[in-house]
Amino acid sequence: MLAPGYSALEFVPPAAGSYGLPPMGLAADGRILTDQNKRSTLHDVMGDRITVLSFIFTTCTDVNGCPLAAYVLSGVQRALLDRPEMRDRVRFISFSFDPENDSPKVLKEYGGKFRDPNFHWDFVTAATDIDLATTLDAYGQSVLRDYDGEGNYMGSMSHILRVFLIDEQKKIRNIYSTSFLHTDTIVNDVRTLLMD
Amino acid sequence: MIRQVMIAVALLASMLLQTSSADETCMSPYMAKIVGQEDFVYIWTLGLEGVGDGQDKLVTVDVNPDSADYGTVVHSVSVGGRNEAHHSGLTDDRRFLWAATLDTNKIFIFDVHTDPAKPVLHKTIDDFVAKTGGIVGPHTTYALPGRMLITGLSNNRDHGGRTGMAEYTNGGEFITSVWMPTDDNLQGAVKSGNYADGYGYDARALPRRNVLLTSSFTGWNNYMMNLGKLLGDPEAMQRFGNTVVVWDLHARTPKKIIDVPGAPLELRCAWGSQSNYCFTTTALTSKIWLLYEDDAGEWQGKAVADIGDASKIPLPVDISISADDKHLWVNTWNDGKVRLFDISDPHNPEQVFEEQIGEQINMVSQSWDGERVYFTSSLLANWDKTGSSDGKDVQYFKLFGWDGEKLTLDFNLDFVQMGLGSPHQMRFGAYALYGQAPTPRAENTILKTAAAE
Repeated sequence: MLAPGYSALEFVPPAAGSYGLPPMGLAADGRILTDQNKRSTLHDVMGDRITVLSFIFTTCTDVNGCPLAAYVLSGVQRALLDRPEMRDRVRFISFSFDPENDSPKVLKEYGGKFRDPNFHWDFVTAATDIDLATTLDAYGQSVLRDYDGEGNYMGSMSHILRVFLIDEQKKIRNIYSTSFLHTDTIVNDVRTLLMD
Repeated sequence: MIRQVMIAVALLASMLLQTSSADETCMSPYMAKIVGQEDFVYIWTLGLEGVGDGQDKLVTVDVNPDSADYGTVVHSVSVGGRNEAHHSGLTDDRRFLWAATLDTNKIFIFDVHTDPAKPVLHKTIDDFVAKTGGIVGPHTTYALPGRMLITGLSNNRDHGGRTGMAEYTNGGEFITSVWMPTDDNLQGAVKSGNYADGYGYDARALPRRNVLLTSSFTGWNNYMMNLGKLLGDPEAMQRFGNTVVVWDLHARTPKKIIDVPGAPLELRCAWGSQSNYCFTTTALTSKIWLLYEDDAGEWQGKAVADIGDASKIPLPVDISISADDKHLWVNTWNDGKVRLFDISDPHNPEQVFEEQIGEQINMVSQSWDGERVYFTSSLLANWDKTGSSDGKDVQYFKLFGWDGEKLTLDFNLDFVQMGLGSPHQMRFGAYALYGQAPTPRAENTILKTAAAE
């Protein structure tokens, strides 16, 4: 069974602006490597836009994991593209926690499958193990590598899918996981932030 | 490693898949799940004066039959003093266990992931009342994505039953609070019956319906009162909750207040992908209530079964729904019995089993496959029965096997004889949740984050 994000919502969501999204603290900064192979920081990339930050790795095969995030965010991108008043105030950052495999070149190729040229969607990773650990810890994103019976890394990882909605002041305003992540929900929440 | 294969971590996605097995059936649907055999049960335990160190504590019992320590207490963390330890819950990633207290309002956050066999106290929230604007008696600690929802039982103005809910980040930082709707302030909710009492107790979510339900018990004045005195005080006995509130889960706004007279306590929602209903039981009227979404999409409530003889005040407490939504375990504290109801037709539950478990009984937790059923005994410090020192079966943690027809006792730990206290809520733990394996530690595959490689 696929996650709810792959189909229409089973309920009528609350209208944008009719509810609050209380701040959940400052979104952490972190040193990153962009898909242009440039060193930067999360805060620099976020800039002054509303940011949807997801943690992914490009070889993820769990249909209800990273592919779900890509599917849902692609939907949000489509919904915002024709609304410049929203499009120009939002960006996505997809952060790979597998820098060993997800080099800037790989990320650029992967991102190209999803990113519309008219939308700000950055695919980034960490340049060092310490930077990666610091960022994952700051966002409470636990990741487990999968090993076989002999202790050999199987090339896959287990993680709880987390997607963060971050406002223009870099405060976390919502966190989505598999059963909660949906295009309509994120679009509504973005509109709610824009109505703050 | 075979066990690691058996006990793979099933993320939330696999809950959506309704896979064949995971752990206890009453947890948040947002939570990571254990597949297969749990390794530990963490028992949030009230300190008892004169028993051991007398402090509230988190007790870890090894429950894996393959372990050399099976059926024994392998660890205990005391938190200092007695705080009316009550319920506990895990964060959505199961890295931390939040243990709440009804008297001092402290919330103790334990790290259960660094070493699942030896939880450590990670952080203590000791300003809950001030942060939440006066909510007293933190009760249910329930995982939402990246945050914890905490229901209250009371307030700091009159210590009655009007209360609210609070949200904290998984890291323990306060986010917001909301008060239960009352006649004075319905907050846009529809009062569908006679009550809008503003009381609180448990909370459960049905994310795919965008629904959160809350139930209602009683305030600090009552739950801290001696039970005999309370039962003899007609005025105090009027101050119990009579409502279940249906909330817009995403907006956290109340939509409808449903009359459920007699203190509806634990809420348990069905797991089926088309099963839009939940159960609760009423402590004072001894009934099973069904909360359900009707064909018009409206949430309703109705009493669907009696639990024992209400005139004898059996006092239903914890309930546990099976993973296939076909059975409901119902504990009744006063007579120490567990009853099993067939809820295949949720509108017409039928009792199919009954057994005495102890002198009193409170919590029940079952494995996802339903083959293991755990029980503990303690309700509230001033309500619990006495007599443990006389050899009575009052304060215990018991594991039974369930074969579909009978319960078979696997082990029984007397928490008073062991100098621990009064055992309350149970939560399951497993090495595999954290990519770890049990001993020998030197040879296990402790899976690291990519960062640690």
